Parts: sequence; structure tokens; C-alpha cells
Amino acid sequence: MSSKVSSNAYLELHNIHQSFGSHQALKDVSLHIAEGEFVCFLGPSGCGKTSLLRIIAGLDTPTSGVLLQAGKDITHAPIKHRDFGIVFQSYALFPNLTVADNIAYGLVSQKVSVNDRRARVKELLATVGLSGSESKYPAQLSGGQQQRVALARALATSPGLLLLDEPLSALDARVRAHLRQEIKQLQEKLGVTTIMVTHDQEEALTMADQIVVMNQGVIEQIGSPQNVYAHPHSPFVAEFVGEMNFLSAEVTGAGQMQSGQLTLHCDQSTHLMQGDKAQLAIRPEDVRFSTNQHDNNTLSAQVIHLEFLGSRVRSLLKLDNHKRPILADISMNEMANLQLKQGQTVQCQLPQDRLHVFGGAA
Amino acid sequence: MSQTMTNKATLTTTKRPWLGRRSLDEWSLGGVLIIGVLGLFICVVLPLYTLLSKSVQNSDGQFVGLANFAQFVSTPSLFNSVSNSLSIALISTTIVTSLSFLAAYAISRTRIPLKNTFRTLLVLPILAPSLLPAISLVYLFGNQGILKELLMGESIYGPIGIIIGSCFWTFPHALMIMLTALANTDARLYESAEALGASPMRTFFTVTLPAAKYGIISVAFVIFTLVITDFGVPKVIGGQFNVLATDIYKQVIGQQNFEMGAAVSIILLLPAILTFATDRWLQRRQSALLTSKAVPWTPPARPLVDKVFLGLMCFISAFIVSIIAMAVYASLVTFWPYNLSLSLKNYNFDLMDGGGWAAYWNSIQMASYTAIIGTIFIFFQSYLVAKMAGFAVLKWLFHLFAILPLAVPGLVLGLAYIFFFNAPDNPLNGIYGTMTILVVCTISHFYTVCHLTATTALKQIDAEFEAVSASLKVPQILTFWRVSLPVCMPAVLDIASYLFVNAMTTVSALVFLYSYNTNLASVAVLNMDEAGDIAPAAAMAVMIMLTCMVARLIHWLLGSVLLKHTQHWRQR
Repeated sequence: MSSKVSSNAYLELHNIHQSFGSHQALKDVSLHIAEGEFVCFLGPSGCGKTSLLRIIAGLDTPTSGVLLQAGKDITHAPIKHRDFGIVFQSYALFPNLTVADNIAYGLVSQKVSVNDRRARVKELLATVGLSGSESKYPAQLSGGQQQRVALARALATSPGLLLLDEPLSALDARVRAHLRQEIKQLQEKLGVTTIMVTHDQEEALTMADQIVVMNQGVIEQIGSPQNVYAHPHSPFVAEFVGEMNFLSAEVTGAGQMQSGQLTLHCDQSTHLMQGDKAQLAIRPEDVRFSTNQHDNNTLSAQVIHLEFLGSRVRSLLKLDNHKRPILADISMNEMANLQLKQGQTVQCQLPQDRLHVFGGAA
Repeated sequence: MSQTMTNKATLTTTKRPWLGRRSLDEWSLGGVLIIGVLGLFICVVLPLYTLLSKSVQNSDGQFVGLANFAQFVSTPSLFNSVSNSLSIALISTTIVTSLSFLAAYAISRTRIPLKNTFRTLLVLPILAPSLLPAISLVYLFGNQGILKELLMGESIYGPIGIIIGSCFWTFPHALMIMLTALANTDARLYESAEALGASPMRTFFTVTLPAAKYGIISVAFVIFTLVITDFGVPKVIGGQFNVLATDIYKQVIGQQNFEMGAAVSIILLLPAILTFATDRWLQRRQSALLTSKAVPWTPPARPLVDKVFLGLMCFISAFIVSIIAMAVYASLVTFWPYNLSLSLKNYNFDLMDGGGWAAYWNSIQMASYTAIIGTIFIFFQSYLVAKMAGFAVLKWLFHLFAILPLAVPGLVLGLAYIFFFNAPDNPLNGIYGTMTILVVCTISHFYTVCHLTATTALKQIDAEFEAVSASLKVPQILTFWRVSLPVCMPAVLDIASYLFVNAMTTVSALVFLYSYNTNLASVAVLNMDEAGDIAPAAAMAVMIMLTCMVARLIHWLLGSVLLKHTQHWRQR
């Protein structure tokens, strides 16, 4: 019966709770991860993502709940009896051992022969693109190189699960973008089930098969990057993944909302009744600048401020009859046509199909 | 696996297995930690408890409440010691705190030459027993002293001698704390002050002094405690001037009045506990002051300031060197002051009372055991406390017990050991009077500093090493051996050297615990001086100092030769 559920998932978390004194770090977290999947735990600091990773690794034990790996209950199993490799934010490379000794560290205890060990180290170094660095010490490597060695060390014993705890946050932007691709490709090649903890939404969007968005100890949403970005389940997810403008509104009719003096059309919500408070949301890049006043949701606005961001321009718009200004992004191509100036009045559209509706007051 | 067995019920309920949640590996390391906690409990906590209970008992072991303390207060000669001790400690503290601040300032904030030489000379007293300056002062200013006239009729036997001697041997302790306090400069603060137009004087009072504030307070408390609990100096040069520390000695060794000794010990514990509490409090405050972004400050050239400080450093160094030189010279003079020809006659310890050369070799043996066993025990236990997962209560207890010895003067600990280990119903009674109790007592006495050194070093290495190695299925003990220990080798050597030097020089705790077969060099100095053999006492003190110098030299060699070889990974 439940064995059907179990056989699909490699790692199962059932109703995990964790509290430190009166502080509840995790509240009823349940999650299934399929074999070979790349999952990102995404959330702001203190959201419980690291606590969850530490429970999976066995560094902490949950207050209640069950954790299954490959059908085996590992909730209280010591770290040694679990099957995973881990890369920490600090890499935790042993400073007094060479790169080769670091990578072979776990192989020695597995009684792998010296020659096999050497071959495995060589193979792993080739995989992470550091061939020939066997005899170097960690201090002689750059941050990105240390990161790769840590990855190689975690993979050396061919674990069933790879845990990455903010592995890229200590690196500078360029190296980070590069390593993002490399880690993703390596993971696809090896097919190892991987969980990565990150607070960087861009990292999660580019690398993950599934994103688990967490906030204040609960899972807000689980889904593919496209899904999470395009269809956020809550204002929190909408704001944390990507950027979002919010307008507080009230339902005034079927597919119609009133925000201050503005009347806006949106897709009909199934669970909101007339008179309910709601929040309308739109991403800055979804705001359109149109001249056709007859389109739905076309509004007059004044450009308060323009900010050049390289590939695009971010404008701050004061909508007529609405207090809080909104952000709108304009690509450089569009900008060439629009020639926006600060203080100028424009017509902008909040397309109906791009408006997200969330129940409840802001 | 039996997946069909996993039904809803087992998924929602969690049973916390008691044994299975840790691997065998972790349980055995936990077992070692339990042994450590028990060890400290037996060697520190229980003896102190026995001492406390003895202080409220009479000689028949009956509870008498505070009668011993009442008797202490009502005996004028004893109560006098309190004010004597306080004034000696306060004066010495003032002198040492100001001089050590100036010296540390000269080393870290001026451009005087020969900084390393001064630094080496100024910490020399730490290698000698506290009895050495006292003996030296006898030769310099005593009844037959060469500089007696300088005192203009005052006697060196009394407060003057105690203060000079105390300042001499506590100075290095103060200097080392001050150097750390003044080392943390932030150039940006000085540049800001200058940019805002502050005068050098104002900068000193608004930037330099506040940053060193905690260091100065800490030094004051540490020196106060060291002086008030020391009995080597007042014993040798105090004459009829009684202080608390000598009272305990006289009550216990002289009059066999153990209960009164215990009561005085409790009184002596008070300043030490106060210092301890202040120090803990300061450490918590100070950590918030330091930022990792600080930019080191380079002192500017200030010819006048530099000259003044150079003069001061020369003066302090000359003073320290002359005290040591006097002791060495006195030990080599055949018969002071009648036959000033040099000979090694005074080194013929076997002809004197006090244990002879056997005492010296006992000391070497005791210090070596202390250094080896102590370092292994302390470092490994600190490692477990710092790096093992779980066992929170045990770790908390251990830390508490490990910090405790800092608040216990050696004299008090020694007395506590008599009460505890000499009790006939104590199963450990057998170690009384043996080398074992000397080693155990010395390790306990100097435990805290070593524990903190080890903990600091261990905290500096990555907290995730153990998690990584566990995930790689490597036993934690192997990671300790292959990674933690090699990385912390400099700290391990520091601990060993600290223990060896202190074991060689300490008198306070061991004076109660040595037996006929386990006479020690430092105690021999005391006993020979008491018997009037001052020159041989000086000779033995010089031997101790030379031995400590050799130990430091070996430490330095190991540090620079061996460590350079094993620590080459530190270089980029």
C-alpha cells in the first residue's frame, strides 16, 4: 500500500518537526525526493533549510518525524551509518593533507588498495577539471578549486546522496556562475541524488530540478523552477523568487478587483468571494508599456525614477489614483523605442494573464 | 528491506533508540569524556569540597560552623595578615600594571630597536621559581648585601622585599596579557582620529587606552591574585611580616593546625574567585570589540617618545637581568661575603639538607610526567569537548570543572589534596606521598590555562571536519590523529612547555604534598633557605631556571625545525 509511495522516492521526509527550546525551527515538513533528482532548498536565513539538511545528514536529530532513505528508516541513525557525501560552505578541506589525501580520505577506511585509490583520485580530479593537482595543499588552491576538491572528496566513495550546504556562497560572482554549470553537469552525468541548500534564488532557478521554497520552518512551495517562478503559491514565494509588485485590493466582482481608485481585471479566483481582501501581484518585467488605451488594465502613470541596470532599465512608476509606486523593467531594445524620461507620463498595462492573485490582506 | 512493514503508524511515531543513535565510535569517545569528567571531579572538585567542609569543623571532625573563622578574626596576629596581604598586593599590582603597560606599549606601539631582545629578557622571570628573586634580594640588600646602603636604613626583610620580589616574578604574566591587549590595533581608528584633528594625547586617551582597557583590568586582577596567593617570596624575605599565604603554611606545617589552615585558605580563595569572575566577565565583553577587518597600525617615528621608552626598557631589563645575575653570582661564590672566589661548591647539593641532587632529578621526572601525561589528557579531553557531537551535559560539566582550577591558588589546592587524599577512608589514599599525587596535583593546578589554549586552537579549525569524516565513514579518532592533532601541533607544544616550566618552578601546592622520597628542587630551595643554606638555595634556583631555559630552547627548536617540516602546508 504505502510501499508504492516509497518505491518512487529515494528520500522521504515525513512530518519532520524540530524545536530548540521554544523556537520551532521546522514545523511538520514532509517531502519526497526521487532518485537522481537535483533538489534545492531555497529560503532566507533562518527559514529552516539548513536545519533540514542537517537532519538529513544526521548532524542533528528531529524532535519528531521520520526520515527514510531508500526505504530504510534513518531518522536516528548515526552519520556513519548513512549514505551521503557532503560539501560545506567552508569546504572543510583538511589543511594539512594534500589534495590527493583529501580526496582519498574516505577510501582509506574502505580498505581500497593504494593503486585503486590513486586511480580513483586521478579519475575524480579529471572529472572536476583539476588534473595534476594531487600533491598541492588546499591553501595553494583558489576558492573555486578548493570547492571542486571538496566535491571530489564527497563523491569519492560514490554515495547515494550528495548534500551541498551553500557550496557557492563563498565564491565571487564570476566563479560562482561558472561552477553552477559545472556542478549541474556533473550531477547529471553521475545521476547522484543531490540536495543543495541556498539562499540565492538565481542559483536555485538555474540548477534545480525541483525547488523547495521554505519560510519560517515550513515548506511554502515545491515545484520546478519554471513552476515556482510562474505560479507562486504565496506572496512570500512570489517575492522571494524573482521580484514582485504588490497591490492590495478587494474583490468587487467576477474577475474584477478594486485597488484604491483602480479597477483591475484578473483571472477569476475559485476561493475568493466578493468583498474579500486580496493582493494582486505582477513581476516588473511583465508590466507593458502600450499606447492602446482600450486594452484591459491600461493605466496612466508617471515615471518617478529610472535606474540603468546594464541589460535593462528599471523604472519606478507612480500609477494614477494609486499610492504605492510599482517597479517596471524595460529591456534596452524597448527603451530605444520608448525613450522614457524622468517625470514623463506613460501608459502602462498590467496584463490580465500576468496578474497573480493572493487571498488575504497584505 | 521490508517496505511492506512500513505502515502509517511507524511513519508518524518516532521512537528514539537509545543505543543505536550513536555509532560505537561515538559511544567509546563519550566513554573517554566520562572518564575525563570523573577525573576532574576527583582531582579538583572533591578535594575542594573536603577543604570547605574542613574549614567548618574542629580537629575532631565535628561541625563547628564558623568558629574557625571567628577565631581567625579575633586573633590579632592572624587578622593582621589580612591587611598586610592586601597592602602588599595592592602596591605590587599598581607597580606591575603600570610598568607592564608601559613596556607593552614600548614593544607594540613605538619604534624602539631590539624589541625581540627586550621581550625575551622581560619574560625571563617566568622561568625561575618565585623564590629566586627573594634570594637574590637578600644578597643585594640583605644584612650582608652589596647594595644595602641604597635602602637608607630600611630593611629588605619585610614589605619592601616582598613587593620587589613579587613585582619581579609577576611581571612576565602581566606583560604577556598587556601585549595581547595592545596588539589589537586598528589603524583606521588612528587615521580617523588624526583626520578629525585629535592631538596625540587625546588620541591616546580616546583610542589607545579604551582599546586596552579590558587588558589592563585583567592584568590588575591577575597580578593581585598572584601576589596575594604567593608564599615563596614572603617566606624567604618576609621576615616578621606575616601575610595570609605564609600563615597557612605556618598553621599547617608549623603548628599542624589543619582546620585553621583550611579557614585561611577559604579567605584566600575570595580574591581568586573575584579575579576569576571578573576575567570571565571581561572575556565576554572583549570578544565583541574585535573585528576581523582591523588593519594593523604601524607606529610613526616619534624621536622623543621612542627615546624615553628605550630608556625605560633598558632600566626594566637591567633590573631583571641584575636580579638573575645576582642569584647566579651568589650561587657561584664560595663563601659569601668572606671568600668571593668562584666555585661550584654550592652545587654540591648532596652535602646539604633538602634532598640533594635527587630532589633535582625528582623535579625533572615530575615535570616530564606532568608535561607528557598532562598534555595528552588535556588536549584530548579539550578535543572531545570541542569537537564531539552530543553529550551536551557532560561537556558543560567538563568545561565547568576545567575552568575551576584557575580560581584556586596552589597553596589552597595543596591543602585540599592533603585533606582529601590523606583521609584513611579514601580508596585513593595509596597515592599520597608518591610521585603520582605530585603529578596529578600539578596538572590540576595548571589545568585551566592549558585547557583554554587547546580549546582556542581547536576552535580555530573548521567545525565541519568531524561531520565530513563521519560522512566518509572515517572513525573520528582517525581524523583526530590525521588532521586535528597535526594542525594543532603548535598549541600542543605550547601546553607541554607551559606545564613543564610550571611544574619545575611551582612550590605552592607541592610544599604540602612531597614526601621524603619525592623531594623536589623548588621545595629544596625553600628548605635550604629555611635552614640557612642560602647560597645552595640560590644554586638550586639557578638550576631550575637553567632547566626551564633548556626546555624553552627545545620547545623553540621543535617549533622552528620540526614544525616547519610538518606544517609546510601553511605556506601558500
